[in-house]
Amino acid sequence: MLRLARPTKIEFIRLRRRLATARRLHRVLRDRLLILTQELVALYKEVVEHRLRVHDEIVRCEKELIRTLSYVEPSTFEEFSNIRVSSLSVVVGSRIVAGVKLPLLEHEVIEGRYDPSAYPITLKEVSECYEDVIKRIIRLAEAEISLLEVGKEVQKVKRKVNALENLIIPRLRATIKYLRMKFEEREREDKIRRKRIKQVLSRKARI
Amino acid sequence: MSEDRTLEYLLERELRVVNNYVALKRKTLAELLREDYPHVLTLTGDIHMFRKSELRLAKEVLGEDAEKLMLPIYVELIPAQTITTGVVRDETATKLVSTLLGVSHATPLYVYPVQLAELRRKIGTLIQYVISPEALKEVRDYEET
Repeated sequence: MLRLARPTKIEFIRLRRRLATARRLHRVLRDRLLILTQELVALYKEVVEHRLRVHDEIVRCEKELIRTLSYVEPSTFEEFSNIRVSSLSVVVGSRIVAGVKLPLLEHEVIEGRYDPSAYPITLKEVSECYEDVIKRIIRLAEAEISLLEVGKEVQKVKRKVNALENLIIPRLRATIKYLRMKFEEREREDKIRRKRIKQVLSRKARI
Repeated sequence: MSEDRTLEYLLERELRVVNNYVALKRKTLAELLREDYPHVLTLTGDIHMFRKSELRLAKEVLGEDAEKLMLPIYVELIPAQTITTGVVRDETATKLVSTLLGVSHATPLYVYPVQLAELRRKIGTLIQYVISPEALKEVRDYEET
């Protein structure tokens, strides 16, 4: 319960207004927390999935590479890897989710010009495999940073929600209840006092 | 700072934080598809980028209506409900959302938390959550009485 200097009607009105504000704030925060938690769970799943896939794909690519290198000359391999992709760039942007700025990474690959018939098809498969790994690593990086950012925000918002839910709102309610009881008690006292005065006055009038 | 002021400050700040990424000017899907780096500017001056794959998915679903779809799609959260529910009020956006969620088309379209998660997975960068002005209604109602 709040400590009150004077249990007055003005204080009572002020407290009720404060309670209404606290409840509004609680709802807004709770909604934000819901969105952020959903985002956190989704990001967590994404991170786990991407990590597992990256590991699997690296193993697969390595196997493919070893197999290809068994019948392709290293010089051909070198040459192909130099001309296969002319440029690879990552666009770093941002997206905003429930007030949290998260990174957004989009990769762009520009294929180089080459004669596919001049190189074994397995070389192209290996390069595509590694391209997929790079794509996935970029997505993983984005998801991991986002996970950290959202996690921090969830922590902050949760603390506020908990403070409102367990401390501020119950305390305001208790104080309002206390004041209401106080006013009722005062009213009852007044009633009794008036009755007593009436009795005394009527007794005096009889005398 | 008194508790009164702290609460008012927090409420004001929360509403500002939660709604500050509203786009300064929304763009149509067709317009965004023509851009190299599809993005919109937010009220705070930040850049909100859209994923190209998601834009292409929206185009695939909407077809000719791509000209009409304004992005980002605002999902208005209604705190007054027992379960936090999102509402999509834009006609073209409801068409896209209902198709992606596999629900019957209606305007406004109510989106529940489970569906919100699915929507986030499919078109995460195309949607933005906004806190409904109804969140403040009760305070105003109270002040009026």
